[in-house]
Amino acid sequence: MEKGRNTGLARTRARSTAGAATVFLLPALILIIVFIVYPVIDTFVISGFKWNGISSDRTLIGLDNWNTLIHDEMFWKSFGHNLTVMVFSILLQIPLGMLLATFLDAGGKKFNIFKIIWFLPYLMSSVAIAFLFVYALATNGGLISSLATLINGKKTTIDLLGKSPNALFTIIGVMAWQFTPFYMVYFVAGYGNIDTTIYEAAVIDGATRGQYLRYIAIPLLGPIFKTACTMSLIGSLKYFDMIWNMTQGGPAGTTELMATYMYKLSFQQFNMGYGSTVAAGMFILITAIALLFNKVFRVKEDY
Amino acid sequence: MKKKVLAIFLSTVLSVSTLAGCGGGAAPAAPAAGGADAGAAETKQEESTEAAPDETAEAKSGKQTDGKNVPELTTEPMTITLWDISTEDPNKTIAEEAVARFTADYPNITVNHVHQQNDNYKQQLVVAMSSGQCPDIYVHWGGGPMAEYYKSGHACDITDMYAKYDHPEYVEAAVAQSTYDGKMLAIPFSGLTGCDIFYNKTIFKDLGIEVPQTIDELEAVCEKLKENGIIPFSLANASKWTGSMYYMYLVARHSGNAEFDAAYTQENGGSFTSPAFIYAGEKIQDWVKKGYFPDGVNSLTADDNQDRALLYDGSAAMMLHGSWQVGGIKADNEEWYNENIGVFRFPEDTEAKAAGVPQNVEIGTAIGMGMTFNCFKEDGSVDQDKLDACFVLATQYFNDDTYNAEQVAAGTVPSIKGFNENIDDPNNKYIIDEFFKASNVQLWYDQYLPASVTEVHKDCMTELFGLEKTPQEIGEEQDAAMQKALAE
Repeated sequence: MEKGRNTGLARTRARSTAGAATVFLLPALILIIVFIVYPVIDTFVISGFKWNGISSDRTLIGLDNWNTLIHDEMFWKSFGHNLTVMVFSILLQIPLGMLLATFLDAGGKKFNIFKIIWFLPYLMSSVAIAFLFVYALATNGGLISSLATLINGKKTTIDLLGKSPNALFTIIGVMAWQFTPFYMVYFVAGYGNIDTTIYEAAVIDGATRGQYLRYIAIPLLGPIFKTACTMSLIGSLKYFDMIWNMTQGGPAGTTELMATYMYKLSFQQFNMGYGSTVAAGMFILITAIALLFNKVFRVKEDY
Repeated sequence: MKKKVLAIFLSTVLSVSTLAGCGGGAAPAAPAAGGADAGAAETKQEESTEAAPDETAEAKSGKQTDGKNVPELTTEPMTITLWDISTEDPNKTIAEEAVARFTADYPNITVNHVHQQNDNYKQQLVVAMSSGQCPDIYVHWGGGPMAEYYKSGHACDITDMYAKYDHPEYVEAAVAQSTYDGKMLAIPFSGLTGCDIFYNKTIFKDLGIEVPQTIDELEAVCEKLKENGIIPFSLANASKWTGSMYYMYLVARHSGNAEFDAAYTQENGGSFTSPAFIYAGEKIQDWVKKGYFPDGVNSLTADDNQDRALLYDGSAAMMLHGSWQVGGIKADNEEWYNENIGVFRFPEDTEAKAAGVPQNVEIGTAIGMGMTFNCFKEDGSVDQDKLDACFVLATQYFNDDTYNAEQVAAGTVPSIKGFNENIDDPNNKYIIDEFFKASNVQLWYDQYLPASVTEVHKDCMTELFGLEKTPQEIGEEQDAAMQKALAE
């Protein structure tokens, strides 16, 4: 009897949990379907059409767009730029963020002021940052060129945005300026999660600060590294806003990323069909790289 | 010409006592307002008692369209959405006042007037069109995109209406630019824009430099400026269309419109690698190497007026640019402008001239911007009531005397016959006179070419000025883009 009642209760409970879960998940689910799942599917659908984006008739052309994409030099060039940005973002932003976080962690409360100041760039909108740097790097009266002129004693122009390959690396630098604070905070939180008793135990065992970092803290931060790298990776592969406002992919396509290329095709060149193909291609590439990255990291973690 | 303007003015103020009929036989297809008065007086149509004009009070209280041959507008409530890019004064106020005059005369019609940011306007319009939210009236720069809007069913053909009803008498080039495939698709409402070389008169005087007449002389001027530590040309080529002006003019001086027109069709040997394009590209690269343009030319932007800044501080002496710079520089510092800024036309190519190539092709645009109407019903048929209202708003309230007077005061020359006279500003007068003397007007490449080719052309300009590709290479790239666009 009692047993039966228990099962009944458990069942009721399970049912009501399921009910509550549905109610709570439904809004998010609807939003995800409407704003993510549907557009992704539609992007793939549109990629099968020849469509200028504004006309009411589209022509079904099957895989023609995909065939073009595979042979599109500009797309692969953009992808290459994305990869460059990705590699340098991970190499710059994560170690720098980690370094700053270590500094903050060691300093404790008295360094709080640095924490605030260093976090500021991340709070600014990308568009504002873009304009800020366009002015600062301008060859005519910009900060860098003016400083160079001052130091050199004669008119000196340092062209950071108007020439390749300067432009791409300038952008990578500005991106690092923008995103390093994010990873800094991320790692600060990571350090915070390490139990102080571990540190104490290490100290009692005679570990130096350096040894503690090398053999205890950093390995413990492993999962954080992985997530940070994945985020940086995806972020750099779909990057758009700041680069659009700084160079629009110029000069002459040397800072063209997949996203800016897609935008130009879809909205400036009346080629929505092919633009969608590029977007879908991006989706596939980014997913593949992110999965691959995760896989490689998991193997490492296992030992 | 002045008389005609006067006639429009008088017919507005002392408007006759009837509304113009919109029936087919009501009025002869008279483009000029003066001729329309007689025709309009014959038919009197009253749509409702409210709209019926009181014959005696009419002269004072009537609509400003009274007596004009315009379509009769609905008295039902109606909302018109209008998109423009007049986010800043004086244009903002001028446009809003025109709308206000319209809604005062037609209180049943509401105009939802939206000012979009210029930078992303084209993209915004594409998004609106693709999602079925295209405004009833939108502005654009003509050229390739206008054709695209029309082919996609977002532009009403107003050829018949234009022939039938009153409208300002636009200069021929403006009508031509509002037409695609023989169909009138837009009503011009901004102004003529020429493109010439602005120069610092004071620097020229101090160095004893004369205004050059030929390209050889221009190069001599550049050398002299260089010797004196002054950058010959101020150019902000991050914007790309700015560098394109040099390219376009050199092509035009070397071959008139012929080679560009041929390259546009890619037929009969037409190509962006034909002699004039190679000549233009080589000239530009030669000038870049000689230091005729500022350092870091590809990272200066015209949106921030970094080119103007180089003129202001005297580091550069000349700037090839559109006539809107007159208003811009004046607004920055009128006194400095009056003292220092002069203008001359792009010098001639002596060799080409000897070979009979016309040397008076001007680069620019005759309409600045046009308004196109997107008045369709759900089933795709034309919503004539709405189109009538839009047509009246664009032709009779934009482009009316108040509007034009305000435009002129703001330094814009309306694309309407007669306005090329009585221009106060000497530079503006020079530019407009050259414009009218031109044997042909070459519309900016970046507006005339199909949108996909425009992008390629603009990137080529960066590569050209950055010495990254040869004129032959950029020519081939533009050819490839053009052939692809033509194939579609």
